Amino acid sequence: MDVSAFNKAVTMMCIALPVMFLVIGIFIAATHFLHKTFPAPPEEDED
Amino acid sequence: MDALIMQYPWLNEILMGFLGLTWQHVVMWLIGATLIFLAVKKDYEPALLLPIGFGAILANIPHSSAISQVVGEEGFLIVLYKAGIANELFPVLIFIAIGAMCDFTPLIQNPKVMLFAAAAQFGIFATAIFATIVGFKFEHAASIGIIGAADGPTTIYVASRYAVELLGPLSVAAYCYMSLVPVIQPPVIRMCTTQAERRIKMGYEGTEPVSDTTKFLFPIMIVVIAGMVAPISVALIGSLMFGNILKVAGVVDNLSRCAENELANLVTLLLGITIGGTMSAERFLTFDVGLIMALGAVAFVFDTVGGVFFAKLLNMFSAKKMNPMIGACGISAFPMSGRVIAKMALKEDPTNFIIQHAIGVNVAGQIASVVAGGLVLAIIPALIK
Repeated sequence: MDVSAFNKAVTMMCIALPVMFLVIGIFIAATHFLHKTFPAPPEEDED
Repeated sequence: MDALIMQYPWLNEILMGFLGLTWQHVVMWLIGATLIFLAVKKDYEPALLLPIGFGAILANIPHSSAISQVVGEEGFLIVLYKAGIANELFPVLIFIAIGAMCDFTPLIQNPKVMLFAAAAQFGIFATAIFATIVGFKFEHAASIGIIGAADGPTTIYVASRYAVELLGPLSVAAYCYMSLVPVIQPPVIRMCTTQAERRIKMGYEGTEPVSDTTKFLFPIMIVVIAGMVAPISVALIGSLMFGNILKVAGVVDNLSRCAENELANLVTLLLGITIGGTMSAERFLTFDVGLIMALGAVAFVFDTVGGVFFAKLLNMFSAKKMNPMIGACGISAFPMSGRVIAKMALKEDPTNFIIQHAIGVNVAGQIASVVAGGLVLAIIPALIK
């Protein structure tokens, strides 16, 4: 086993997973904001 | 024989195919035939596996002109490779087509489901770690992990940058396992959940219709946020969302239909046969490829486990319980995963309809897999310096 490669893979996970959840958190907040800011008019049907 | 060929040089031209044939070529023909069989008889991702299988056969005929690298006489598979994969064009075009097919409405109505999609990307990183343990170098391990994105174009995109020599097996593994979602996910989900959990019903109360303005602004918002965090992901997420904005704009229906049908079909056809063309015996018949196929299964299992356990974790802190099976739909295999989980719920309880929730999570998986791919693309160069 290449210890350096293993360490890099673990580092990648430790960086990417939290950043991923952070980005997804921002997506969620922004989507909520969009949905609230531009509500569907009553006559507009849901797809 | 050599003396005969010396005396009659034209014999070499006629017999070169037979003289160059090795058992490795024959094994590759069998692998190509197996992929074609799976596509035709088992309906496993036929649009991809049929062209890949045929391309593999073309690439493994000795002295095949289809993969000739002689300058000025390049084979058509080499020309296609340079035109569409080496420069990452085909995966990007496929994303435009996928974007035009996606309906993000269930996701906009319940954006929290994106959390499941993030959790279901766990398989990418777990598999990358496993790949380093079995001896792959880091950039190859990261490219193998991307199989866990359950997203063929993302796999090809990352592999074409950091694991060109593994492009064929990585693509085959990604598409094979995507088609095997109905086989892989149900037993893993059953192992991770109780029957009572699988029977949890999820209502649709409180879901409001989505305005056209929101649908139109959503892809732009996603591109800007993802692009600011990982600019390297703009090609992937940008093409996905470009396809979607064609669909929701409502003024370019002909372009949207073209992306959804003609573009998707044409690029899928070219992508498949070109990937098959990279599957030469000397590249494919190695121990590493066997490991990659095994690691692909590991990636899908960990994705499923990650999504399900994250849903169970959220249930511990939430008064309104969710069916933890929908966590498994966070992989990008759309819409297969959503349908498989919805069917499982119905099997457990014929009155439990969770299809809309499942599809919402599955659509979120499309976005999360591209974000994960973008993050991996951004992190690899920093770590290999």
